[in-house]
Amino acid sequence: MNWKKVSAVMLVAVMTASLAACGGSGSDSKDSSDKQESQDTGKALTVAIWDSNQEPGLRQIMDDFTDETGIEVDIQVTPWKDYWTMLEAAATGGSMPDVFWMHSDQIGTYAEYDDILLNLSDKIKESDKIDLSKYPENLVKIYQNADGDQLAVPKDLDTCAVWYNKKMFDEAGIDYPTADWTWDDFREVAKKLTKDDGSQYGVAIKPGSYQESWYSTIYAYGGEVLTADKKKSGFDEPKTIEAMEVIENIIKDGSMPDYNVVSENETTALMEAGTVAMTFQGSWAIPELAENDYVKENCDIAPLPKGPEGTKSIYNGLGWAASANSENTEGAWKLIEYLGSKEAQQKQAELGVTMSAYEGTSDAWANSHPEFNMQVYLDMREDAQAYPSSKNTQVWFQMMKDKMVDGFSGAKPMKDVCEDIAVEMNKFLAEE
Amino acid sequence: MKTKKAKKKITSRDKAEFLWGWLFILPTMAGLIILNIIPIFQTIYQSFFKTGAFGRGYVFIGLDNYKRLFADTAVWQALLNTLKYAVIEVPFSIAIAIVLAVMLNQKMRGRSIYRMIYFMPMVCAPAAVAMVWRWLYNSEFGLLNHMLNAIGLPKVNWVSDPKIAIISVAVVGIWSVIGYNMVLFLAGLQEIPKDYYEAAEIDGANAVTQFFKITLPLISPTMFFVVITRVIASLQVFDSIFMMVDQSSPALPKTQSLVYLFYRYAFVENNKGYGSTIIVLLLAIIMVITVFQMKAQKKWVHYN
Repeated sequence: MNWKKVSAVMLVAVMTASLAACGGSGSDSKDSSDKQESQDTGKALTVAIWDSNQEPGLRQIMDDFTDETGIEVDIQVTPWKDYWTMLEAAATGGSMPDVFWMHSDQIGTYAEYDDILLNLSDKIKESDKIDLSKYPENLVKIYQNADGDQLAVPKDLDTCAVWYNKKMFDEAGIDYPTADWTWDDFREVAKKLTKDDGSQYGVAIKPGSYQESWYSTIYAYGGEVLTADKKKSGFDEPKTIEAMEVIENIIKDGSMPDYNVVSENETTALMEAGTVAMTFQGSWAIPELAENDYVKENCDIAPLPKGPEGTKSIYNGLGWAASANSENTEGAWKLIEYLGSKEAQQKQAELGVTMSAYEGTSDAWANSHPEFNMQVYLDMREDAQAYPSSKNTQVWFQMMKDKMVDGFSGAKPMKDVCEDIAVEMNKFLAEE
Repeated sequence: MKTKKAKKKITSRDKAEFLWGWLFILPTMAGLIILNIIPIFQTIYQSFFKTGAFGRGYVFIGLDNYKRLFADTAVWQALLNTLKYAVIEVPFSIAIAIVLAVMLNQKMRGRSIYRMIYFMPMVCAPAAVAMVWRWLYNSEFGLLNHMLNAIGLPKVNWVSDPKIAIISVAVVGIWSVIGYNMVLFLAGLQEIPKDYYEAAEIDGANAVTQFFKITLPLISPTMFFVVITRVIASLQVFDSIFMMVDQSSPALPKTQSLVYLFYRYAFVENNKGYGSTIIVLLLAIIMVITVFQMKAQKKWVHYN
């Protein structure tokens, strides 16, 4: 009988204690932010990002900012899959994070209304730390709205390259890829590296990883995803179809694992498991791959294969944007100004976070992981293609991703898939 | 006509009870109205509009969304997928749960521990459950295929084969809901007087006959409740599919449910108008099914 009473009392005590602890820590953080209130710069800024790999490096840079200005910064990571849903809901509800990452796919949606993103143009003109001419022109332009107002400051630059397994190349007696290798060479090598027993495949490409892989193939063969005026789809152009058939041939050769395996796993996972000899990765994948022991021992980076028009690595860059409705737009601007300045961009590269957008700062990045040939990513900038996006990219690229599944799984010939995509894409583009 | 005899005076006590009654119900009623009833009407309203991002740019388009809905094969396939899921999850989870409940109703050692073990899946977060099962089901690295290979069987593409992916997802659904059903049945079983069983034993009925002739009829009220709520919940399946089947999976068209499509249109493509239309369809279907079940109640549910 007594046992029941004792355990009941203990349970109640534990529950109240945990409630008090939650309440306590809540009031603690309120106290510290109250302290900030007493300084003239206000409470902590919220910063939203989607890549947890970049968080440690960015945390250091934010701490430097706090040391300089006294403004606290709170980084919140939401995985890519949910980031845009989160941001849109926050924008609809009027409670966006103060500072956040912007992507070229989505800038069109956010730039449409004047009161979502903070207009940074005037602040940039007055600032001596931010000089827009120091960033790649394309990236600066992407983050402007129709009136030419700057809505985000370029943060970084990413390019794409091939990761290959040196051990598998050695075993098969194949020379490592050079800067001149073509898509035909790639196809041969992939075939040679595929073992009959299915324990090893030459390459794995996901239809959803278009930025790293088949977008480059399209441009390398002289095709395009979007016409230059962004009014029509490039998928029905003969050169685009030719490029996609190059990929189709690699799949037909049997050099890729079963589509089921490809769809259920990330290419980084397949590389780390030693099942696949070559994969395509953007420079943002480095923090993850560089941590993996198997990859550290056996893999290295090679340039993209060349087509008749060159390598055409797709390059893109994120931007730092601020909410127009933030309670602390001054603080948010100070942070963005800091992050776009030469010092912060240099630090971002040195810490190996990403290649920075500020001219001349990325060489430090190439040395952040000496066991890999990271210079390849920098070299890819020489012959690169800007990421194709239109005002409402996210409407058609979901459709494109879905339809492309049939081309990769072999359910439909690539030619038909491309033509289907072009028809649907033109419908969406006509509505823009 | 005689006038009413001694019309009951409303005493102040009655008034007080009346007031307190409504006061106690108020939180739930407020929640129900604000979070459930009003959004239903808002959703139906929204289905007549084409919507833009950030809740702006509403354009009235009348029945266009509905016309698009009827022509959309993906929606009808998703409806079929949802019905398949419900047809697998509901009967199996109920059948297994009632048998478990009967077995765990007897006095035996470790009874509470067994009950706890069977209830545990309900306590785990659905997303966590889906992630673990996703890896179990992985065709290349998953534990299930590993075990199949160990005994010489070929591997199975549990979540990427269009033909069986929906069954794999339904199995996870069954696993996670057995505990909940079991607890409800256990409660229902407590209400059955032991005398019936004793009388049956004296008459020479074995355990199986007792189950079918005594337990099932007397637990039919609980069974009715469980069937209705489980059917409604299973027709709304979303998180297991979202977490276990990748967007690039060849199995997706044959596995996505109506709520999955709703999420895709409303939140990923920012077309809340069309998403609302899909929800209106789901609402209509659930209402029809529930009405049928209520009517059929008279045939098989025995209330004392």
